[in-house]
Amino acid sequence: MKDYVYDGSFDGLLTAIFYAYQDKDRVKIVKAADYIPHLLNIKISVSTETDKADRVYNSIYSKLSYDTLSNIYHLYLSDIPDVENVILDYIKLCFKYSDTINLAKNNDTIRMVDKYKRRAYGEAHLFKGLVRFKEIAPLIFYSQIEPDHNILPLIIDHFKRRFSDQHFIIHDLKRQYAIIYNLKEAYLRDLSVEEGNQLSHSSESDPFESLFKSFYQSITIEERHNERQQRSYMPKRYWKHLVEM
Amino acid sequence: MTIQEKLEILTGAAKYDVSCSSSGSKRSSKGSELGSVSSGGICHTFTPDGRCVSLLKILLTNYCIYDCAYCANRKSNDINRAAFTIDEVVELTIHFYRRNYIEGLFLSSAVFKNANHTMEMLTSVIQKLRTDKGFGGYIHVKAIPGASQELINEAGLYADRMSVNIELPSDRSLKLLAPDKNKEDIFKPMKQISTNILNYQEEHRKYKKTPIYVPGGQSTQLIIGATPENDLDILSLSQKLYDKYDLKRVYYSAYIPVNTASNLPDIKNPPTLREHRLYQGDWLLRKYGFKAHELLNEQKPDFDINFDPKTNWALNNLSLFPVEINQAPYGVLLRVPGIGVRSAQKIASARRIAPLNYLDLKKLGVVLKRAQYFITCNTKYYGSVDLDEEKIRTVLKPQIDLNEADNPYEQLNLFDRLSDSSWKPKLLLPLALQIPSKLLLAEDCLTSVTGEL
Repeated sequence: MKDYVYDGSFDGLLTAIFYAYQDKDRVKIVKAADYIPHLLNIKISVSTETDKADRVYNSIYSKLSYDTLSNIYHLYLSDIPDVENVILDYIKLCFKYSDTINLAKNNDTIRMVDKYKRRAYGEAHLFKGLVRFKEIAPLIFYSQIEPDHNILPLIIDHFKRRFSDQHFIIHDLKRQYAIIYNLKEAYLRDLSVEEGNQLSHSSESDPFESLFKSFYQSITIEERHNERQQRSYMPKRYWKHLVEM
Repeated sequence: MTIQEKLEILTGAAKYDVSCSSSGSKRSSKGSELGSVSSGGICHTFTPDGRCVSLLKILLTNYCIYDCAYCANRKSNDINRAAFTIDEVVELTIHFYRRNYIEGLFLSSAVFKNANHTMEMLTSVIQKLRTDKGFGGYIHVKAIPGASQELINEAGLYADRMSVNIELPSDRSLKLLAPDKNKEDIFKPMKQISTNILNYQEEHRKYKKTPIYVPGGQSTQLIIGATPENDLDILSLSQKLYDKYDLKRVYYSAYIPVNTASNLPDIKNPPTLREHRLYQGDWLLRKYGFKAHELLNEQKPDFDINFDPKTNWALNNLSLFPVEINQAPYGVLLRVPGIGVRSAQKIASARRIAPLNYLDLKKLGVVLKRAQYFITCNTKYYGSVDLDEEKIRTVLKPQIDLNEADNPYEQLNLFDRLSDSSWKPKLLLPLALQIPSKLLLAEDCLTSVTGEL
């Protein structure tokens, strides 16, 4: 068995797929960060080659469909261990049976694709609500999040559109990078946890935090107490960065 | 009074309004203005009662001239009263919004002075938000029954959604519990809003510059369990509202006793299970193509608490079943208990590739526990018992009778009897079998109250 090890970028993944697709052996694609050497497996390091990645990208787009390509991108963003091999299986399946195989919702690979895609997509939607900004300077806002999936690319447009007249940073502490918006454009940039904490502590506590807390407490109806339902919509692991909890 | 105290009082006074959705409307911010609206709605947090918080839900004031028996803010109640100024609401909304705490504003009010004055105040708040501050977030505003046409027309130009709460499902109950209100006053603004929406839509089709009037549509709320109406009355009313006024949602709110009065029922727990069944019925009306009289009739005017409305309907119409999964049209699939919108779509999609077998159905997410009795798969029936109403009822019945669990009267407490020495407990149920005071159904969690759609 061969392990194709790539650098973790989307282009890197597509390059790895380029080589793994034509390999007749049993193959596995692993991110360099997650790679554990195995005694019996051969390691093949794949460095990102843009032309190879483009070829894979374009052939999926033109021979399959935009939806399939978008599925693959969402799967990649889901950041679930071993998702690379689901992607490889998915591409092989689609090229074998043509794009209509996407209709076969009972196929195990298609089911996995739908499931993982929904997870990434669902979390991105949830975080459109769960991001909490703190005003660190007049009209400059900073927020920390720790999502399970790599959702920043999925929420960047939403926040850019919504808060077009304020500077803001949405910092993914787990992946140590952030959305930065400077009134002109929004872009993604590496940002370490230390830098983030510095930003966060650069100001006094925000007076609206306590106002929101008391709003949150007063809106609750005690007679209908139902914490299990609360947790099912908003799991406890997200509570750390919510000011009202 | 500090703004914090005001916020506490006026939020506490607004919390019994169920609606918190921020859906149905879509707006991108123009240039460098603040705010956008996404059509699916966004929840920003969830309270310990499991409801979503999407909008800053407050009353402008809780000084009220009315004395409705069910309401916490009625004038004869001795409670803390407060009133926001227009600027306070505007500032609070903008600052909360900038921190992404909320999706927008839900503004309601008790009626002070008179209906027109109240409506005028509400309109000036949202007018200021929209025009002076360029706020593009979601705004849900209450239309005050009895306010003049012009005021309601104007408010609708700034709001995304408007609502008039009916609260009590019949004129008789209204007379009994809310003597200052009458049916005409409530339905007049509702009718007016729905005509306005249609007129503006028509206009918008011709001239693209015409604004869309109340793009998120209108909604209303009914209180369940405060008055003797049965489920059929309530659901028929909803049906009429959907058909006639094109409402987006009717919300149901289990009556929570906040006041005591001789004309109010004396209940301990809000009838949440009944509310849940009504919501299920409501979704069947809106999304599954059912009609109220199909689900309930004069002989059985209430939902069976033990079965969900669709299972109940299917059991009463067993002659229509079983349906063949590989052939039944989409609309028929939707009517099978255990098959929802998503699994019906998946079935319709997957069977285009190849006929489905029974194992596939599980993979597609069909709830076979219920669906197995109502379907055939490649002409074979897989149910664990015969296709017979009594037999299916027996296997599908929940382990504990939910009628007991949702009993509005308090459960007898073991310790109440301890002082009575003659009484001895005959049987102690194991912990797992004891009925909690408020029982939650594990499989059908109360999705109906999250407020989306």
